[in-house]
Amino acid sequence: MSSHLPILLFLVPFFMGVSMPIVTAKRRHLCPGITLGTVAVMFVIALMNLRVVLTEGPIEYAFGGWTAPIGIAWLNDSIAAIVAATVSFVALLSIIYGRVVVTSDLEKSSHYYTLILVMTSGLVGLIFAADLFNVFVFLEVAALAGYALVGAAGGKALVFAFRYLLLGSLGGTLYLLGVGHLYVATGTLNMTDLAERLPALMTSTAVVGGLIYIFLGLSIKMALIPLHSWLPDAYANAPSAVAPFLASTVTKVALVAWVRIEYSLIAPTVEVGHVPVLVLLEELGIIAALIGGALALIQTDLKRMFAYGGISHIGLILIGVSLGNDTGFTGGMFYLVNDAIMQAALFMIAGAIFHHHKASTLDEIRGLGHSTSPLLTGALIVVAIAMVGLPPTGGFFGKWNIILGALEAKHHFAVFAVIASTLLTFGYFLKVFSSWFNQPQSVAGETIAVSGGLRLSLGVISFSIIALGFLSDFVVRFLLQSVRGGGA
Amino acid sequence: MGELLHTLIQRPNFVVFVILFLWGIYIMAAHPNLVKKLIGLYIVQTSAIFFLVAFSAKDGATVPVILEGMAAVDPVGYANPLPHVLTVTAIVVQVATLGVSLALVSAIYRKFGSLDEDEILEQLK
Repeated sequence: MSSHLPILLFLVPFFMGVSMPIVTAKRRHLCPGITLGTVAVMFVIALMNLRVVLTEGPIEYAFGGWTAPIGIAWLNDSIAAIVAATVSFVALLSIIYGRVVVTSDLEKSSHYYTLILVMTSGLVGLIFAADLFNVFVFLEVAALAGYALVGAAGGKALVFAFRYLLLGSLGGTLYLLGVGHLYVATGTLNMTDLAERLPALMTSTAVVGGLIYIFLGLSIKMALIPLHSWLPDAYANAPSAVAPFLASTVTKVALVAWVRIEYSLIAPTVEVGHVPVLVLLEELGIIAALIGGALALIQTDLKRMFAYGGISHIGLILIGVSLGNDTGFTGGMFYLVNDAIMQAALFMIAGAIFHHHKASTLDEIRGLGHSTSPLLTGALIVVAIAMVGLPPTGGFFGKWNIILGALEAKHHFAVFAVIASTLLTFGYFLKVFSSWFNQPQSVAGETIAVSGGLRLSLGVISFSIIALGFLSDFVVRFLLQSVRGGGA
Repeated sequence: MGELLHTLIQRPNFVVFVILFLWGIYIMAAHPNLVKKLIGLYIVQTSAIFFLVAFSAKDGATVPVILEGMAAVDPVGYANPLPHVLTVTAIVVQVATLGVSLALVSAIYRKFGSLDEDEILEQLK
């Protein structure tokens, strides 16, 4: 039974999502309850799965008893288990939070709940897939639900959802082309199998071209600078109820898919013209971390600022996983988990500010710190500490391990980039706080009633940001198990 | 140069793939009309599918079904089924994408009364 947990994790939201429009056709009011229940069940399954992986080590799940390379396999290792638990945790909190800020027309359609569940199932598939083509299918399942969710608010969001769709589908197609190239060269799609056959073929242009296509496709999906242009507009205009979930999962899970491919297929010794490929990837991460941070600094809209912050963190994670040593790799993956939770928290706060005060720009939030609920201020401070990366939050330990890894690899420019992006992060939070605690222009005065759902979701997420810091040693060691255990 | 030309002439289906791919990307980037952008996307996706089919095509090969009583299996006589399976799945994904994108385009048209990207961006300001 315990070995079937990953597939259950996929099937539960998928079936509930697909049957939602039929089951609730006459009973719309049941939608939120069913969705919440489904995601809660998912979270429990993900925790059970985490426990199984913790005690038994990585497990390969073979569909229908056909083992790889003939059958399709899923890999249930520590990276997958942790990211799956994070995704279901964030999904659970986002749905609780979504109940508070959801607009009435979005609430009325059962499609919103269907899409959330289908997207979650796509993400779960993407996390566990150990087969290149499976990654493509789940990438598209998650992305299609994502396009529809961004556009669900109507109005301006429709145009940005359409742009997201054009770029995202182009990314998916590039990825498919890359898979085709690798299949031509090796005759297999299974990652473990590919890892065995590829090293001998690294001089082939088909393999190199295929890997470049795959990287290009996935970097559109993970919004790596300079292919990030769809993200800020899409997330700033997406409905407040879904923005936390979208922002915290879509790009991160695409990055997880790339990390799996990079980790199993690109050895540190692989070079292009005497430059190791990993170093090139690391440079791309450095560029993304610095430019993303700088772009966040010049934004005046809260959601856009946080979106660019997320883009710069994608760069940080890419630096970590491309250093070519265990310290940097686990640091990067740990930071990825943190970043998923921090992004969710940031978009929850921005959405709650907009919902209660109709404020979305730095000018509009001026002086809110004096009149708004202390809960929002508290959560904002906790997330800011984590984003800047001060102990005892999880953000600190992730960055710390990335820096240690960079020092170990003697890549001093990467160390500089991590610290510089930290300073940039500090810079834009300074801007947020200087306006937040400024003297109010007008006497707003009204105190808002913070509902229980918001209280719960913001409280739990702030707590988990700090808790991750205390658990960091444990999580990092658990992630190392996947590295040392040769998890593909 | 002569050698490159020789290589190209020998692989007409890959030349067609490159032309379709670039053509599609050009349409996506250059046309302001949203539906034409979609057509461009569709051509790009079709070119990827064409690529998958092109490399799996084999002269005089048959479907890989092993009948009862067949002693030796000669792989040369069969077409590789896997790229075709990939193609079918990719087509399904393509159709789903097209469905979502047409829904978005029709919603945009109802909201903005135009399909021209420049006019819509003008209204967004």
